[in-house]
Amino acid sequence: MDAVFSGLASGFQVALDPFNLFLVLGGCFAGTLIGALPGIGPINGVAILLPIAYGLGFPPESAIILLAGIYYGAEYGGRISSILLNVPGDAGAVMTTLDGNPMARNGEAGKALSLSAVASFVGGTFAVVLMSFFGPALASYAIHFSPSDYVALMVFAFASLASLVGSNPVKTLLAALMGLMLASIGIDANTGVARYTFGIPDLLAGIDFLVVVIGLFGMAELITLVEKQATGTLKTLKIDKSFVTLKDIAFVKWTILRGSVIGFFIGILPGTGASVASAVAYGAEKRSASDSSKFGEGDMRGLAAPEAANNAAAGGAMVPMLTLGIPGSGTTAILLGALMLFNVTPGPLMFEQRPEIAWGLIASMYIGNIALLIINLPLVGLFARMLTIPQQFLTPLIAVLAFIGVYSVVSNPHDLYMITLLGVFGWFLRKLQFSLAPVILGFVLGGLFEDNLRRALSISNGDYTILVESMNSVVLYALAVLVVVAPLVIARRRKKMRDEADHGETA
Amino acid sequence: MADRIFAGILFLVAIGYTIVAFTVIKAPFQYDPLGPESWPRILGIVALPCILFIFARPDVSRLGVPVRTWGRLAALVVMLWAYAFLFQPLGFILATFAFCMALSLMLGARLVSALVFSGAVGVLGYFVCTKLLEINLPAGVLTIFR
Repeated sequence: MDAVFSGLASGFQVALDPFNLFLVLGGCFAGTLIGALPGIGPINGVAILLPIAYGLGFPPESAIILLAGIYYGAEYGGRISSILLNVPGDAGAVMTTLDGNPMARNGEAGKALSLSAVASFVGGTFAVVLMSFFGPALASYAIHFSPSDYVALMVFAFASLASLVGSNPVKTLLAALMGLMLASIGIDANTGVARYTFGIPDLLAGIDFLVVVIGLFGMAELITLVEKQATGTLKTLKIDKSFVTLKDIAFVKWTILRGSVIGFFIGILPGTGASVASAVAYGAEKRSASDSSKFGEGDMRGLAAPEAANNAAAGGAMVPMLTLGIPGSGTTAILLGALMLFNVTPGPLMFEQRPEIAWGLIASMYIGNIALLIINLPLVGLFARMLTIPQQFLTPLIAVLAFIGVYSVVSNPHDLYMITLLGVFGWFLRKLQFSLAPVILGFVLGGLFEDNLRRALSISNGDYTILVESMNSVVLYALAVLVVVAPLVIARRRKKMRDEADHGETA
Repeated sequence: MADRIFAGILFLVAIGYTIVAFTVIKAPFQYDPLGPESWPRILGIVALPCILFIFARPDVSRLGVPVRTWGRLAALVVMLWAYAFLFQPLGFILATFAFCMALSLMLGARLVSALVFSGAVGVLGYFVCTKLLEINLPAGVLTIFR
C-alpha cells in the first residue's frame, strides 16, 4: 500500500512538471477536437497523431503522457458527434447514440452532453483509482511469470479477442493472424535469418509499426470517408441551454457506478475494449431497469451507462498494457507500440525500472480526467463546431496529416506508398467485416509471442509439456476455453428459451 | 461472393507464406529447439483452416459499392499515389497544394474556397511543422525555404 502512495507521489511529480502538465492539457484538448470530428474515433485519432508526437523528440514519459491525453480526450470527444449527429466515431460510441441522440432531438442536447461528461468523468476516475491499486499488485505477481506462462497469457488474449470482438470469431482470429504474419517479416533477432524480405532492403528491419498503424487506421478511414462522400456539412442539432442537474445525477448515480464497474473489468480483459464494455453496460442497465420502455427514446440511464463504461474501459485497458505488456484494446495496442518505439518495454518490470513512465502516466490520467471535465462543460459549444467542418476539407487534411506523420519519422518516401497500400487493404478488410483492432494487436504482440514460445522450449530443451506445467498457465488455458465456450453456451440457451417461448405461444 | 474472392486471394498468400516457411527459411546452424522457421509454420497451419472456413461459409456476399463510387475511390488512390510520388521531388508545399486542390474539388468544394484552403494547408503546414515543431519535411524545388 505504501508503494502505491509513494509511487503516486513520484508520478504526480512527473505529471505536474509544467511541461508535462501542458502536454496533458494540450493532449486532452487536441484529443477532444479530433474525437469530435464526425466518424473519427479514438483509435484513428491516436493513429494519425502518433507519428507527429513521436517526431517531436520528447522524452518517452512526456510523449506517452501526450498520447494518453489524446486517447482520453478522443473518448470524451466521441460522444459529441454521437449525440449531436448520431454518427458514432467508433464501435465504442455506438451505444451512446441509442439514447444520447434521442435526448438531443427532444430538446435536451445540453443536458445530454453535460450528463455524459459527468458519467465519463466518474467512469474514467473510477478506473484510474482502481488501476493505481490493482496495477502494481498485478505487476508484482506477473514478475514471476515464466516464458511458458506468457505463451498461455497470449493464447488467452487471442481467445478472448476472437470470442468477444467482431461479429465473426473466425474473421477476428484471421485478422489477428494477419497481424502476426506481418510482424514476422524482417530479420529474425535470434538467428539473423531474413524472413519474407525477398531481397528488398527496406523490409530487412521489418515493416515499421507507425506505417502499419497509419495505413490501417488513418488511410483506411480516409478511403471510407471518400466512399461515403458526405459532401457539405452534416446537419447538427443545436446545443440548447438545458443542463444536467444534481437531481438528474442522483437519479443515475447507481447506473453510472454499475457502468464503471462493468467497464473497468471488461476493459482489463486482453483485447476487448470500450466497444464490448459499453454494449454490455447498456444491455445490463436495460434488463435491470424496472421500466425499460423508454430506452432508445432518450432515457438518461441509457446514456449514462455506456458513457461511464467506455471511459472506465479505456482506463481498464491500460492495466494489462502497463503491467503485463499485453494491451487491453486496439488503442492501447498503439500506445504499447509507441512505448516500444522509445525502447521502453511495458510489462511487470516497468513499475520498478521506469517508474517515471508508469506512475507518471497514471498520475497524468488523474489530471487529464479532471481537466477534461472542466474543459468539456463550458467549451462543448466550441468542440461541437468541429462537426461543421466541411467534409471536402476535412478529408484531404487527414491525408496530409498522415503523410506528414509518416515522412517525419524516417524520411523514406517508400513508406508513403506503403501506407496507401495498407490503407486500401484495411478498407477491404473493413468492407468485409473484419475488425482492424485484432490486426494491430497481432502485429504488436507477434514478436513477444514468438520469443516467449521459443524461450520456453529452449528451457525445456524442446519438450512441449513445459507449456502446461505451471499452475498459472493451466489456469490461463482454462480461462481461454471458458471465454470461447461461455458465449456459445449462453447464446444457445437463450435461443432455446426463445424457441420454447414461441412454442408456448403457438400451442 | 466478395468474401470468397478475398478468401481465395488470402489463401494463395497464406499458401505461399507456409511453403516459404517450410522450404526457404533455414538457419545455417542453431542450438535452440525452435528455429526461425517454426513460428511462421505454426501461423500458416493455423491460418489455412480459418481461410477455408470463410471460403466455405462466407457472410458478406457483395461490397455494395456502386460503380461511380469505385471510380471515385480509384481516383483517390491515384491522387494518393501521385502525392507520394511528388512529395519529395516537388516539396511539401507544392505537392500538398496540388493534392488538396484535386481532392477537395473532387469532393465538391468551390474553386475559390479550395484555392484558399489548399494554399493555407501547404504554406501554414510547412512553416508550423518545420519552424515551430521542428519536424522534417521536404522543401523540394522551393529551396529558398529550406
